[in-house]
Amino acid sequence: MADKTMSISVPSEKPIKVEKWKVKQGAFVSQGQILFLYSDSSGNNSGFKKFKALRAGTILTIKVKEGDTAEPGTCLADLEGCKHPTVMKDMCAECGADLRVDERKKLEVAVVPMVHSVPELKVSEELAQKLGREDADRLLKDRKLVLLVDLDQTLVHTTNDDIPPNLKGVLHFFLRGPGSQGRWCHTRLRPRTKEFLESAAKIYELHVCTFGVRQYAHAIADLLDPEKKFFSHRILSRDECFDARTKSANLKALFPCGDNMVCIIDDREDVWRHATNLIHVRPYSFFQSTGDINAPPPLSDDKLKASEKNGSVLRQLPMLDSEPDKAGTGGSFKDKPTEDNLKEAKSTKVTEIESNAENKDINNLSNESSGEPDDPKWIETSDGQIEVEDSDDYLIYLEDILKRIHKQFYDMYDSLGQHQIPDLKFIIPEVKGQVLAGTSLVFSGLVPTHQKLETSRAFLVARGLGAEVTQDFTEKTTHLVAVRSGTAKVNTSRRMGEGKSKVQVVTPDWLWSCAERWERVDERLYPLQRGGQSSARRPPAHCSSPPPAPPPNTVAAIRKRTPSGRFMDTINPLLSFSSDDIADMDREVEDIFNESDESSSEEEKAITDDIDDEENIPEDRLLTLDTENSSQDR
Amino acid sequence: MFYHISLEHEILLHPRYFGPQLLDTVKQKLYTEVEGTCTGKYGFVIAVTTIDSIGAGLIQPGQGFVVYPVKYKAIVFRPFKGEVLDAIVTQVNKVGMFAQIGPLSCFISHHSIPADMEFCPNVNPPCYKSKQEDNVIQEEDVIRLKIVGTRVDATGIFAIGTLMDDYLGLVTQ
Repeated sequence: MADKTMSISVPSEKPIKVEKWKVKQGAFVSQGQILFLYSDSSGNNSGFKKFKALRAGTILTIKVKEGDTAEPGTCLADLEGCKHPTVMKDMCAECGADLRVDERKKLEVAVVPMVHSVPELKVSEELAQKLGREDADRLLKDRKLVLLVDLDQTLVHTTNDDIPPNLKGVLHFFLRGPGSQGRWCHTRLRPRTKEFLESAAKIYELHVCTFGVRQYAHAIADLLDPEKKFFSHRILSRDECFDARTKSANLKALFPCGDNMVCIIDDREDVWRHATNLIHVRPYSFFQSTGDINAPPPLSDDKLKASEKNGSVLRQLPMLDSEPDKAGTGGSFKDKPTEDNLKEAKSTKVTEIESNAENKDINNLSNESSGEPDDPKWIETSDGQIEVEDSDDYLIYLEDILKRIHKQFYDMYDSLGQHQIPDLKFIIPEVKGQVLAGTSLVFSGLVPTHQKLETSRAFLVARGLGAEVTQDFTEKTTHLVAVRSGTAKVNTSRRMGEGKSKVQVVTPDWLWSCAERWERVDERLYPLQRGGQSSARRPPAHCSSPPPAPPPNTVAAIRKRTPSGRFMDTINPLLSFSSDDIADMDREVEDIFNESDESSSEEEKAITDDIDDEENIPEDRLLTLDTENSSQDR
Repeated sequence: MFYHISLEHEILLHPRYFGPQLLDTVKQKLYTEVEGTCTGKYGFVIAVTTIDSIGAGLIQPGQGFVVYPVKYKAIVFRPFKGEVLDAIVTQVNKVGMFAQIGPLSCFISHHSIPADMEFCPNVNPPCYKSKQEDNVIQEEDVIRLKIVGTRVDATGIFAIGTLMDDYLGLVTQ
């Protein structure tokens, strides 16, 4: 009905003279708009009559010229009905037609929600393409790219726990929940956030893309950008996400012409399905007990952990309170832990100390990995504010990474000539691959002996940075990444070191920090101590998410046929494992239960246990990879 | 369009309010329960002007709550197709713009904005600008629009507007 063409014919029984067309060919007319003026040939020249459009649509062709006379029945113009290219709340935004009336005609043209914060507003594929092209052209003209910015743990860290009200640099706001009383949020911006946004906004169009609820996203955006000059209305929150687990589903809608010019910064790789145009940032953590409060479902166990750990916060706070509190207003809410918290504190009393220790451990670890030695310090200043030393300087590096990507993109764009847009999905890995290009690494003690080098995380990280990795020393070897001194490889390198091709011996931290900063960090900062044991065998959070897919050269576990040959037996995965495998699996389950907090307990164990016991987790991971493979086989 | 009409409403009162201030409580409750609400038939209830009668309360069996039927007059705002209204622009984007007419939200599609006006995303705040730059519509501006369609939901009314007619567009004070 809507997309059919209707011809406008002479409106009276007598011939008419078309005096003046009020519309042009190809123009969009709304219902009731005057199309042309005409006069009857009856000679009654009291004035021209108006002809109004019976319904909205586009004038395709005008067949009768001004001043011509048309006989009754002739076609004056063709009017194409409104295609409803823009739909708001099931109403066509062009002609106002209610699209809910036609239940059977459900095949809507407008399906793409193009505006971040208004999911009800949808436009047709065609219009979306047009708008997307306009956007891309504008970006190219301004020499900008698109940057999708995650909030939680990337630019800010937010907690719902009770915290001292006089913490310096922490912003407080209240979110009114639907129905419930709402909650207080306390947000700390990552150091240098404002400067970072300021400089990124010059070469990128910034979009917020978060799993927080809409209200939260807008509240944070307000804090970051009160003048709305960075983000404007480009805020995508959980309410607008198509999929509760990934953000990548929305990309197609926001950028209908493809995501060639889209760069993403996020602390979670999995929510983007390991897109190659993602810069995986080091998670920012300020409130030690809280993870990402808006973590998507796969992380929900983390959320549990976070609430479990409330107890440790309570334990920490009294220590702070014991300091002279000059702010006066201080004690009001933190002195009254809610009943729930109290209960929790009691129930977790036993694990409290442990988890607290673990918290510190994590902190130590993350600091170590970034090369900064000490815990955040809580210093009370004279005006009653508690100042916390925050040594996070990641945004400096991120800014630099973004500048390099931008430069590479436009260098390539200029060399490609007009109308060819390079793809950031290739450029970003390329930029990353230049970091350690030309180096050749050998690992020692980093990859468990059972695991193939090619499947280890360290290998993938190093390859991503453009380094070559070999099993043993070769002519070209430049670096030895060793967990501890005293291994055969370390000794070999010391002997070789006398020669002209000196091999640099570094700790794995060197590799992790190269991966974090995307630059070749000075090797001298990460020397391998003689007799020292580096705790950083496992990659830090931003390098340790599971690899996107098992590398192609892993061989799937060979499946043994059961003697019976029955299909039922072959499909039982337990039968294809040896008893050792099953024991391993049991151990994995146990490990998961023990691993109450990230990896710190793992680390401790690795240190205290027999040093050579290298098969804890990585081996299990290999096993799961293999089972995946074999199950795909079937 | 605004109407001044008689309406009815039932007030459910908890027994703890039974006392000398009972009728005041009923009136107060009427204001809070009715003003600002929206019904499909009458539109938004803007303000209660007079309370004409408070009927005999009926005690609910088994609960102790009492129900008062109240008749009152109120000013209501009901938007209609074809109506011309003044609105305040709230958001401008590439697909069109959003405007607010008191409690009523309204969307105007890019196609319903005169063709000579172009979207300029680079200025802050973003705006629609005519080629001669003499006509700029941005956030917070007052515009005159014509309603071409309304959607009545349980919670409110949403309207689609257009600027494609004579004397519509930016209202200059």
